[in-house]
Amino acid sequence: MTHQPTSAQDLLQVRDLGVEFTAPDGSTLRAVRGVSFTLRRGETLAVVGESGSGKSTTALALTRMLPGTGRLSTGSVLLDGQDLAAASAEELRAVRGARIGMIFQDPMTALNPVLTVGRHLDEVLRAHGSREKHGRRQAKAARRTRAVELLDRVGIPEPHRRIDDHPHQFSGGQRQRILIAMALAGEPDILLADEPTTALDATVQEQILTLLADLNRETGTALVLITHNMGVVARSCARVLVMYGGTVVEDGPTAEVLTRPRHPYTAGLLAAVPRLSAPSGTRLTGIPGSPPDLTLLGDGCAFAERCTLVEDRCRTGVPPLVELTDGVRAACLPAAARTEPLPAPAPPARIDRPATGAVVLEADGLRKTYKRRGVRGRGFTALDGVSLTLAEGETLGIVGESGSGKSTLARVLAHAHPSDGGTVRLRGQDVTRPARRELHAVRRQIQMVFQDPYASLNPRMTVGQIVAEPLISFGLGDRDERDARVAELLTLAGLDPAVADRHPRSFSGGQRQRIGIARALAPEPSVLICDEPVSALDVSVQAQIVGLLTDLQRDLGLALVFIAHDLAVVRQVSHRIAVMHQGRIVESGSADDICENPQDPYTRALLAAAPEPVPVKPALRKTEVLA
Amino acid sequence: MTSTPDLAPASPATLRKPVRAPQKGTLRKTSRHPYRAALSTARARTGLVLVGAVVLAGLLAPLLAGHGPTDQSGLSLAGVGTPGHPLGTDDLGRDLLSRVLYGIRADLGIIAIAVPVGAVLGCLFALAAAAHPVLDTLVQRIFDLILAFPGLILALAVTAILGPGRLPVVLVIALAEIPAFGRLLRGGILVQREREYVTAARVGGSSGPRVLVRHILPNAADPLIVQVAVSLTVAVFIEGAMSFLGVGVRPPEPTLGSVLSQSMPYLAQAPHFAAGPLITVTALVLGLSLIAEALNREVRR
Repeated sequence: MTHQPTSAQDLLQVRDLGVEFTAPDGSTLRAVRGVSFTLRRGETLAVVGESGSGKSTTALALTRMLPGTGRLSTGSVLLDGQDLAAASAEELRAVRGARIGMIFQDPMTALNPVLTVGRHLDEVLRAHGSREKHGRRQAKAARRTRAVELLDRVGIPEPHRRIDDHPHQFSGGQRQRILIAMALAGEPDILLADEPTTALDATVQEQILTLLADLNRETGTALVLITHNMGVVARSCARVLVMYGGTVVEDGPTAEVLTRPRHPYTAGLLAAVPRLSAPSGTRLTGIPGSPPDLTLLGDGCAFAERCTLVEDRCRTGVPPLVELTDGVRAACLPAAARTEPLPAPAPPARIDRPATGAVVLEADGLRKTYKRRGVRGRGFTALDGVSLTLAEGETLGIVGESGSGKSTLARVLAHAHPSDGGTVRLRGQDVTRPARRELHAVRRQIQMVFQDPYASLNPRMTVGQIVAEPLISFGLGDRDERDARVAELLTLAGLDPAVADRHPRSFSGGQRQRIGIARALAPEPSVLICDEPVSALDVSVQAQIVGLLTDLQRDLGLALVFIAHDLAVVRQVSHRIAVMHQGRIVESGSADDICENPQDPYTRALLAAAPEPVPVKPALRKTEVLA
Repeated sequence: MTSTPDLAPASPATLRKPVRAPQKGTLRKTSRHPYRAALSTARARTGLVLVGAVVLAGLLAPLLAGHGPTDQSGLSLAGVGTPGHPLGTDDLGRDLLSRVLYGIRADLGIIAIAVPVGAVLGCLFALAAAAHPVLDTLVQRIFDLILAFPGLILALAVTAILGPGRLPVVLVIALAEIPAFGRLLRGGILVQREREYVTAARVGGSSGPRVLVRHILPNAADPLIVQVAVSLTVAVFIEGAMSFLGVGVRPPEPTLGSVLSQSMPYLAQAPHFAAGPLITVTALVLGLSLIAEALNREVRR
C-alpha cells in the first residue's frame, strides 16, 4: 500500500477499508477489500462501478451505516484525523449529517408520506442543534426560516408556500431536491450521494447534477457521487474511482481516466457504454462474462476471468493500486508494466443488416386511458392517438421518459392490455379486438421481452419449463419435440441447454434476460416487442443482450420494437426512432436523423440531457478547490 | 453468435440496487428446498418434537392408557403416583392419564377435520373473489360477517342452533378459519396477478385457468402453508374454550378442554387435576407456534 503524504487539504482518508457480510448460510462474504482513497476539501469524486462492485457498501461503511450483518473488517476512515472506524456510536452520530450528509437513490420512498416537508427539515435542523437559541419559540421560528432558505437553495419554487406541503405533492426531481436540502441542513463538509439520479428521467437528472455542481462550487462541500453511469461521471466529477469486485481498480482525474484508461476493466466499461454519436447499426462492444460472484472470489484480481491482458501472476494475489503516469493509479500488474497505452478496443463494427421487408404491424390512432379508482370521469391518458408501422427485419426504437406511455404501448401492441380506441393491423388484418381463438393466433405472432429480468420469470419454474410454457400453450410438438426445441432456443439465446433444469434465481440479470428472450422466441413470432430490455442490466452486459437481439433479428428476420429511455442504445439498434411524450409520438424518423437533426423541442431536450462519457472541457468545470 | 455464453451462476446484477445490500452476491443454494430448510432449524425441530410427542400420545392412547377414559374406580381425586393411576384420578374416580390421552385423540380428530375444511372453503371463496369483482365484494362481505362475531359468540350461536357436541365444534372452527385462509389467498392472487411473469405467461398464450393454476397459485400458496400451522393452534384454543364453557363435546367423552373445565372446582384441593390438560395444550400450541414461526421466517421472506 502506497501511503501518500497527508496534507491539510485532505479531508477524508480511507485506508485499507474492508467490509464483510455474513451470508445466510454462515459463510463470510467480502464485499469491499482493501479500499484506500483520499478526498480533499471541496473535491468532486465519483465512485463508479457495476452491481456488486462494492461502491455503495464503501459509501455506507464510511459512517458505519452498514445494513444487516455488515461490519468493518479492516482499515481506517480518517475524517480530519478522527478515525470513524473506531469511533463510538455517540461520536458517529455527531458526524452523520453534520459533517457527512447523505442522499439516496430513491426519492419516492425516502420521505415520510405523513410528514410535511417542513417537518422533515425541522427534524434534521433540530438534530443538528440549533436548539440552544433563546427560547423554544424563537428557535422554532429560526429553524423554519432556515428550512425555507434551504428549500430555496435547492431550487424549490416559492419555498415559503410549499414548506407545509406533503411529499406526494412534489415530483420525483423535487423530492430529490428536498432530500438534498435535508442533507445540507447540517452544513456538512462532505455530501455522499448514492445513485442520486438513477431513478430519475434524463432531463431531471441533468437538473439535479447541475444543482449538486452548484452546491459544490458555492459552498465548498466535497461531493462523493456513487454511480454506474459513466456519463454522469464525466458530467459532474473531477476525479473518479473505478471499483470492481469490491476493490478499487483505477483512481485518477476524470479527463485522464475517460480518455486514456489504464485498467483493462475501465477500458472495457468505456467501450461498452453506448455513445449518442455512434450511428445506427453500430455494434456495441461488451465485456464477455458477467460481474463476479463475491462468494466465489479467490485471492487474485477480481477481473482476471474477463480480462484480455490476464497473466498467471494476476490469479495469485490482489494487485496493489500503484501510481502510474498523470496522477492515475491503477491496480493491474500487466498495465503497470506497460509503457504504451492499452490496445484500443476494436473499432465499433457495423452490423450488416438485411433490407427490411413488407409491413408486418401497423397501429393507427391507438388510445388508452386508465381509470382512477373512485375518481369519476378523470382518467390518466397513457396513449393519445399513437400510430406506427413496423416492417419485417426492421427495428423501431421508441424513446421517452417515465409516464410517456411507452410501456403501455408495448402492452397494447402485445395484446396484454386492451386498447380503448384505434386499430392494430397484423399483416393487413385488423386484430384490434380479436375473438378468443384469433387472439391466440395473434399472440403467437407477437411476443414480448420484459424490462425486469427478475419479475418476468416465474420463480417456481425451471428454466426449461419457462421456455417450454409457450410451446405447451400453443400446442407445439409433443414432449420430446418440446425438449429438443427448448435446447435449441436456449442455444439460440446464448445459454447452455444444460441449464434447463435450474431455477431462474441461480442466474445473473443478463442470463435471465436471455431466458426471457428464449421464451419469447419459442412460438416463432414475427414481431418481438422489447420493453426496456436492457435498462436493468449492467453496461457491460447490456452490450451482450443488445448484440444478441440484433443477431436474432438478422438470422430470423424479426421485426423489433425496442423501447428504452436511453437514446444512445436506441440509436444503435434501431432503423427508425419514435419519440414519445405524454402519450403521443412527437417525432419519428430514421434513427440517425432523429439524433442528428431533431425537430421537436422535446427531442432536443432529451438529446441535450443525455450525459456522454466524454470529459467536459476544463473551462466548463472548476476543478480547483475553493478556499 | 458474438456474445459469449456466460454460464457460471453469478450474483444478481441490477442497476436499481437490491434494497438489502448483504443479499447482494449471495446465492441461496438452489438444491435446498425452503420448507426443508425451515423444518431443519432448531426452532422447528423443537416444535416438531413437541407436537410429535403429543400426537403420538394421542394415537397410541389405547396402548398407553391402563383404563378406559370413562371407567370409574373407587378412588376419587387420587394424587399423582397412585398405583395404577400415574396422573391420579378425577372427582369421579376416572383415570386422568387415560382421560388426557383420549382427550388428545378427541381434539386431534376435531382439528384434523375442521382446519382442512375451513382452509378449503376459504380458498374456494378466494378463488371466487379473484374471478369477478362482484363476487369479490360479496365474498369480502361474507368474511366481514364471520369476523364480526367474536369467536365465542359464534360458538354460542352455533351451539344454540345445533346443540352441543362434536359437529358444532368442527363447524365453529371451520367457520372461524374461513376468512383467514380466504383473505390470505385472495391477497396473494391479487399481488401475483400484477407481476410481470403473469403478463409474460398471458402473452405466451397461456389460457386463464392455466395462468391461475400453473403460475399464480404456486406463488400465492406459501402463506397458506404457514397459516395451517397458525390455524391448528387457534383450533386447539377454540375446542378448549368451547368444552370449557360446556358447549363442546358432550361428557363423559373427554377432550382437553372438558378435562380442564371439570378440574376447575378442585384447583385448590387437587391442582394435578388441571396439570395434565394444561401441559398438553401448552406443548401442542407452543410446538405448532414454533413450526409456524420457523416456516414464516424461511418460506415467506
